[in-house]
Amino acid sequence: MTLLSIVIDKIFKETKACAHCDIPCGIYDPHNAQMAAHTVLRMTNLLLDIQRENETKAKHDIARMTHVKEEHGHLVEDELGTLENDYFKPEHFKTYSNLGELIEKAVKLSILVRQNIDIESSKELLETILQISEIFYKTKNVTPIRVKSVYPTEGEIVTYK
Amino acid sequence: MLLLSKFKISGHSMEPLFLHGDKILTTNIFYLFKSPQINDIVVFKDITNVFVKRITKIINDKYFVSGDNQNDSLDSKDFGAISKSQILGKFIYKL
Repeated sequence: MTLLSIVIDKIFKETKACAHCDIPCGIYDPHNAQMAAHTVLRMTNLLLDIQRENETKAKHDIARMTHVKEEHGHLVEDELGTLENDYFKPEHFKTYSNLGELIEKAVKLSILVRQNIDIESSKELLETILQISEIFYKTKNVTPIRVKSVYPTEGEIVTYK
Repeated sequence: MLLLSKFKISGHSMEPLFLHGDKILTTNIFYLFKSPQINDIVVFKDITNVFVKRITKIINDKYFVSGDNQNDSLDSKDFGAISKSQILGKFIYKL
């Protein structure tokens, strides 16, 4: 970013301008965000467990895991953006007064887990995504349920009955 | 109404010019003196949202807009043509 851009960025208040893939297809699902959050958690676990017997291989694995963690952290943010901008309506935010706060928290956590190897934030990110998913299904007038995932993270996923 | 406004792009319909997360500066100064033109990139509001699109056609003071990324964009077919009063500003600078 140039100096001019930095100055402008500091001076002006920011508003969101939508440039979405918005043929209004009506197909929305928090599943992708959940999978991405599980992946972030898994990569964080793997990074913490990395073996250093072969330093070249360790460096190689760290690079790959970090890349996947970064990618899926972004994916969480993108998927949340789609739900926030395309699916959730003002009445949803009114009915579920913590929805906006949860989305904001999840976005911040998705940045934090990319910046660090932070297991607690990764778990918190997943939990926040699960709470958003529960609200999503409630807005669809179905009952959300939490089930244990079959992923190595052994965390939960939210689906509905 | 501010003469200059900053917006953060959300979505992919204006790629490759604007990527998701890009920040842009717009101004409404030009439109105080002249009408929007074809190819102007404008930020405008509808009932629920603020959008950024390119003007592709003008008929009887109605502005038809579209995203640059045609595979990935809502356009006037979906929400109708917009009026000048809905336009918040013209894109002038990408941060």
